[in-house]
Amino acid sequence: MKCVLEGNGVKAFGKAIHALSRIGEDLWLDPMVKGLALRSVNVAHSAYSCFLFSPLFFQHYSLGSASEQGNETIKCKLVMKSVLPLFRCLTSIERSVERCQISLSASSDQVIIQFFCRHGITKTHNLRFQESEALQAVFASHLCPNVVKAPARLLGDMVMHFPASQEEITLSMTPLRVSLRNYYEGGNDHMRTMYTEMSLHPDEFDYFQVGMESDITFCLKELRGFLSFAESHCLPVSVHFGAAGKPVCFSMEDMVLEATVVLATLIDSENSGPSQPTGTPVSSPRCADAAALTVVSHGADSTKPQDTPAVTELIASSQGSPIIKPPALIQLLPQTDNPDGLGVPGEACAGATTTPASTTICSLLFRALSSEQDDDGCAARLPVLACYSDTEEDMEGDYTRSPSL
Amino acid sequence: MKFRGKIIDVACLNHFTRVITTISKLTKMCVLRLTPDNLFFVLSGKVANGGVSMWCELSQANFFDEYQMEGVSSEDNEICLEVTPENLSRALKTVQNAKAVKVKLTKKHCPCLTIAAELPTLSSASRVVTHDVPVDVIPRRLWHEFKEPNMPDFDVSIYLPPLKTMKNIVDRMKNLSNFLVIEANLNGEMNLKIETDLVSVTTHFKDLGNPPWGDDASQDGGASQSRDPEAMVEARVDIRRLQQFLMGQQVNPSKAMCNIVHQRVVHLILLHEDVSLQYFIPAVA
Repeated sequence: MKCVLEGNGVKAFGKAIHALSRIGEDLWLDPMVKGLALRSVNVAHSAYSCFLFSPLFFQHYSLGSASEQGNETIKCKLVMKSVLPLFRCLTSIERSVERCQISLSASSDQVIIQFFCRHGITKTHNLRFQESEALQAVFASHLCPNVVKAPARLLGDMVMHFPASQEEITLSMTPLRVSLRNYYEGGNDHMRTMYTEMSLHPDEFDYFQVGMESDITFCLKELRGFLSFAESHCLPVSVHFGAAGKPVCFSMEDMVLEATVVLATLIDSENSGPSQPTGTPVSSPRCADAAALTVVSHGADSTKPQDTPAVTELIASSQGSPIIKPPALIQLLPQTDNPDGLGVPGEACAGATTTPASTTICSLLFRALSSEQDDDGCAARLPVLACYSDTEEDMEGDYTRSPSL
Repeated sequence: MKFRGKIIDVACLNHFTRVITTISKLTKMCVLRLTPDNLFFVLSGKVANGGVSMWCELSQANFFDEYQMEGVSSEDNEICLEVTPENLSRALKTVQNAKAVKVKLTKKHCPCLTIAAELPTLSSASRVVTHDVPVDVIPRRLWHEFKEPNMPDFDVSIYLPPLKTMKNIVDRMKNLSNFLVIEANLNGEMNLKIETDLVSVTTHFKDLGNPPWGDDASQDGGASQSRDPEAMVEARVDIRRLQQFLMGQQVNPSKAMCNIVHQRVVHLILLHEDVSLQYFIPAVA
């Protein structure tokens, strides 16, 4: 894959990387026909973000020729710490970088990022990547009872009332009012912490649909980078969510890019503001708790109950993610034939988690990206990680677990 | 005990916020005393904070449009609260464009100062923001610790040079030494000195002017007149305390003065139109 960005595109790309860096420590580059996707997942698998830049975003965008790539997709995982510094200072990028070229090929293990700057200076960065299947959050946004669409600055204005260090936040929605308040899980500081609540009228949203009144608590820190991107591009943000425990999805799009953040929410739904949680207090921020996760690519966990959703529901909001043909994926998953099952990811999660119910974050349901479908529509062969086989793919989902998951 | 206040004017809100932000840079926790006419932010000099003490006085009428309070009792018509000024500052900063800001003493999960504001929006309905800042009520028996400090029997009183200039100098001196000597005389001259084994640096200020306190300011009536105007009076202080004071200043005061009691204490006074701030830094050996 080779792509060229120019001027403002470099800045936007850098800003996307900033937003993704708030989520996880690794960055997946996923070049596809429909564009270049950047993805990140946090360690606890409770936050996922994807920025998909369509080919129109780039001055030049080409995937390798079919022969070069063969049937393999490039599965490129970079360490965020090595990518972020390249794009850290956006103002200086704006000033001095004229063009940026990113090249990636399956044959080498390096991503080459070149900045062509003013005064004829070229900076070339070679970054080693790891072959690793990217994860993608499974989220059926069209099943969400609650949908709001906020104009660009609104969410940013809402969260600015909370300090930068605020970990978690509770969003409440009723037909009359939307409110945000900070969430503290108790402990010594309970009496000393400052509580903030802000509420606004549904009229302030571009679109407001309340299927059910709900309070969801999620990690604000992971969202801030995304909101800052939305504000800087003046893009409205759509929020899809349901009851507490089910994930919440923030998304934005314009002509050339789509971006999503999916965050897990706390299951404990009777918490409201500063009440004490009933479960064991945890010292680390809740969002970082590694609740047991249904990562569907783990073929090894086939003993799990049938709790994965029917494939047809996968990523319906389709933030640029490829939809897998049903038979292939069902083959892989522990659940084999439930084509009609409209399993909602949240419920599935609740069953799968092993931590104490009252303190668990319902984690996100993930599945591995698979390669693009064969044209003849036959059962897709899900690729095996390169370290296990160079050229041949195994059928039937002899799917090896990615070491990083 | 009851307290309700309302600020409507944007400039007053802004000024109030800046005062509280300045206080928050000086100390993590302080005492807020509410009386019918004034608000005081008090820090009493304790070993824990290096012996520095602070007294900040605001006239409530200059800030609040509405102000009602009922103290602990009719004889002690005052409320004393321990508060973290940074929380207040943070809360106020988010509501700068509000139509009105209400400050109330409430009891939520604990006693709180609740800051509630309505923010204007494009649509007809408004946004409501509430911040509950937890406070501790100080019992009456401890009130004596938070009284207005007496003006010290100073030896020299002098106007300070521009605070920004002082701050720049003190910032750089801090790299060289932990202690700084402030000396001044009645001739409008002030020096900031540091001295280490390797190096000594002095910055001289001239023509600063001396405040005309007059005879009543110094209890020791005769001494100030007979003092030689050229004679320097000095105090050696922890440089970080001075730096902290200078760092926090957000507004240029109308008057900035320094009183020095020789080798005892440095007393800094900043006067704005409606706020006065006093800061005491004890001298170290």
